Amino acid sequence: MDSEVYIIGRDAVPQFLRLDAGEARSMTLVVPPGTSARLGLEIDLCGPGASLDLAGVYLCNDAERVDLRVLVRHSSGGCTSRQLFKGIVGGTARAAFDGLIYVAQDAQKTQAYQENHTLLLSGTAFAESRPQLEIYADDVQCSHGATTGYLNPDELFYLRSRGIPEAEARRLQMAAFLAPVLSRLPESLTEEIYAGLP
Amino acid sequence: MNNEVLLEIKGLRAGVEGKEILKGVDLTVRRGEVHAVMGPNGAGKSTLGAVLAGRPSFTVTAGSVTYAGRDLLALSPEERSWAGIFLSFQYPVEIPGVSITNFMKAAVNARRKAAGLPELSPAEYLKLLKEKMALVQMKGEFARREVNVGFSGGEKKRNEIFQMAMLEPTLSILDETDSGLDVDALRIVAEGVNRLRTPDTAALVITHYQRLLDYIVPDVVHVLKEGRIVLTGGRELVDRIENEGYESIHG
Repeated sequence: MDSEVYIIGRDAVPQFLRLDAGEARSMTLVVPPGTSARLGLEIDLCGPGASLDLAGVYLCNDAERVDLRVLVRHSSGGCTSRQLFKGIVGGTARAAFDGLIYVAQDAQKTQAYQENHTLLLSGTAFAESRPQLEIYADDVQCSHGATTGYLNPDELFYLRSRGIPEAEARRLQMAAFLAPVLSRLPESLTEEIYAGLP
Repeated sequence: MNNEVLLEIKGLRAGVEGKEILKGVDLTVRRGEVHAVMGPNGAGKSTLGAVLAGRPSFTVTAGSVTYAGRDLLALSPEERSWAGIFLSFQYPVEIPGVSITNFMKAAVNARRKAAGLPELSPAEYLKLLKEKMALVQMKGEFARREVNVGFSGGEKKRNEIFQMAMLEPTLSILDETDSGLDVDALRIVAEGVNRLRTPDTAALVITHYQRLLDYIVPDVVHVLKEGRIVLTGGRELVDRIENEGYESIHG
């Protein structure tokens, strides 16, 4: 299934979606460099067998303010949701990801997963991650994970020791970090993003 | 070219986080030679390799290193690679998301660019890749794997020698390349190294044990203890260390 791609600042992004029984949807949100945005997205899985595959990438290396709020609501049982958000934050940019998975009392056999990983490029950049689970059903599989870190210096030295210049080595590390999300995008957009990496 | 001095280390002192590890190392390597640097754990063997390759976390506090007539310590790690230095890592780094193909393509082309050469065409690159993979007996899918991710100890070391073959270095530094290898992998690695030997190139083999030196025969053997080279000799030193250990060797 091809993923629907929404580029923040260029495309209109839905604020509320409902997925009915058996409906499957794959979406990828892209916040390109230079874009400050406040985005709220609520997705309600309200029929059995609905499945959501949601990913996002945000690239802010200057002074951007990015604020993403995602609510995935499992109203019906037997639905699956997967979320993967990755961000690169540098300069004096600030990025916040607020993700809530809500599982209603009747929504048994829910599978809901959420990951948010951020790479900080400078000591003045700021990233916040608030993953939250609110679960009222008892027979569910849910997980969330969040990490924030810097480029790995051992990787960087390894790449440079093979003759790859420092700036290119850093871009390679960033591309590798973003790869799981970028692989969902059309090639032209992926190339645009690669070219815009600091 | 042959037999001229390639690497000259004089009075080298270096350390990490304010702790001095190398306490005045002198070492001269000529083209065509294989030198072994042996020593007990903590002697500073790996530090020597790291300093020569330009690892940023190490600081040189005194001394000089001249490589092919240039001040090596003034060069960045990538410039050292372009100049023909290669370090085979004791602990090769995993780079998730980067395939070996893309990694080596970036490395080979960066080096060609530094030498004023055009990038290899995809067909030329593929040919080179296959040829060098054969040298270390790597199969086709190897090139598509992420760098060192999920590799066994032996595969990681073979990957180091594969990269060495791709980059055709002038001075190869092998840091404990034998550690964690079974006999078959050791033989593959050693054969790879031996086939890359030329009268113009040299190798510095850093090792704790004599094992690898049964396959890669050194011309000169140095014993490094507590940050200094305490003894230099021919290959007979390897047997002496094997029989007597490092305890008996003093400056």
